[in-house]
Amino acid sequence: MKARPITTVKTVVAGIEAAGTGIKLFTLTDPDRWELPPFKPGAHIDLHLPNGLVRTYSLCNEPADNTRYVIAVKREADGRGGSRALHDDIRVGDVIGVSLPRGGLDPGAGISRHVFIAGGIGVTPFLSMARHLARTGEADFTLHLIVREEVPLSAHLTSLMKEGRVVVHRTSRTGRPDLAPLIGAAGPDTMVACCGPEGMTDDFERATAAWPAANVHVERFVAPPPVIDPDAKPFTLFLARSGAEIQVRAGQTMLAALQEGGVDVATSCCGGICGACKVGWIEGKPVHRDRILLPYERERYLMVCVAGSDAERLVLDL
Amino acid sequence: MLDTISADSAQSAARLGWTGVVRFLHLTPRAFLPMRAAESITLVAGRGIEGDRYMIGSEGGFYSHKPEEGRQVTLFELETLVALKRDAGIALGPEEHRRNVTVEGVPLNHLVGRRFWLGETLLEATRLSIPCRHIEEITGKAIFDPLINRSGLNCKILQGGTVRVGDAVRNAA
Ligand code: FES
Repeated sequence: MKARPITTVKTVVAGIEAAGTGIKLFTLTDPDRWELPPFKPGAHIDLHLPNGLVRTYSLCNEPADNTRYVIAVKREADGRGGSRALHDDIRVGDVIGVSLPRGGLDPGAGISRHVFIAGGIGVTPFLSMARHLARTGEADFTLHLIVREEVPLSAHLTSLMKEGRVVVHRTSRTGRPDLAPLIGAAGPDTMVACCGPEGMTDDFERATAAWPAANVHVERFVAPPPVIDPDAKPFTLFLARSGAEIQVRAGQTMLAALQEGGVDVATSCCGGICGACKVGWIEGKPVHRDRILLPYERERYLMVCVAGSDAERLVLDL
Repeated sequence: MLDTISADSAQSAARLGWTGVVRFLHLTPRAFLPMRAAESITLVAGRGIEGDRYMIGSEGGFYSHKPEEGRQVTLFELETLVALKRDAGIALGPEEHRRNVTVEGVPLNHLVGRRFWLGETLLEATRLSIPCRHIEEITGKAIFDPLINRSGLNCKILQGGTVRVGDAVRNAA
């Protein structure tokens, strides 16, 4: 097999635990239990599943717990297949590549009170934050957990429930709670956040409409794609020699698209300064962005780690 | 002009000028994982550092698919960390630059193609390190640009042994 560049963090499934109806907690560690790349409370990671699917999950352990990534996965029978694969096929000892953690909640300088509104399994990012705040005492918090009947991850929430830091609202008994009184009054030192199904995040947005945007955070079940340049557009690479066609997604680098498509390109800096990834181009409108090619070289070559395209189609000499 | 002065005078300058010291030692077994500090590390001639991702035969490094004899051990100047703070206002720790050995008082950029002692081990500098875009992703700090041309030195190990924090770094004849 041809050696490929490493693009994910290698983890091993160290534990699988049932955590409520249809929910499993997966603990991922380095094969030697080395520390994993650091993360913010409630950050998410992409799992590159053995069946080729890439799925994003929130971490529910806290940053100080730095040798594991713990994710809670609810089995969605008619979902897109990621949760089914994890529930049905993944075993302890399996190897899963994951991305570097992204996003998460900033505990926030000057914030002394947090109110979290979670719907069902949407509790996961706040569990991470709650553990972090409970341990560091950086700020006060209340987590309102809205569920139909059963509390997900209950074993992990009991002590916080006893302390009154987690308040459970069961819609089967009391109906859907009004969010405004739970959130309380806006204040510069209060941060409110919500993670749950769409109806709930809509209610939450209405309830916080008058709040300063910096003090409100909404986390959707479908994690937003990594931030990309709003002007970035997708385009297609045509490889003149092999005849292959490769799609480059908006915001993706040509290099990443080529690697995904199984085309091996030498790289080193990945930042347009070393010259390792130079490729000839034949037709199109490349946007160069490198810092090494001379103007006359740019008429024939581009650096795939940083170059983009101003046209829908770019033909490479590959 | 350069071809008449380069070889000889540069060599004598390097021979005359410096003695440095090992300030920090770090390694990690796999790409992206945090570097762990060590009080001492073991260098194996012709292969790498025990337990590090670029030990020949390990497949854990970001560049391991392109094995390179000259990347058995990598060095970084403490002075660059000081300069980053001073000139760019960026606090970068010795565990964040992802090179193995942080030295003080060693003119790394002058040593390409030369041999020097790192504690009891003998190294040959093969090329300057190039900053890698991924370091910004890993550290969350915008350090790619400020590290151009001062991103450390790649070396191969001619004579192995143990390197400890506080060891001297000296030019080899
Ligand atoms: S990898 Fe260095 S210029 Fe593209």
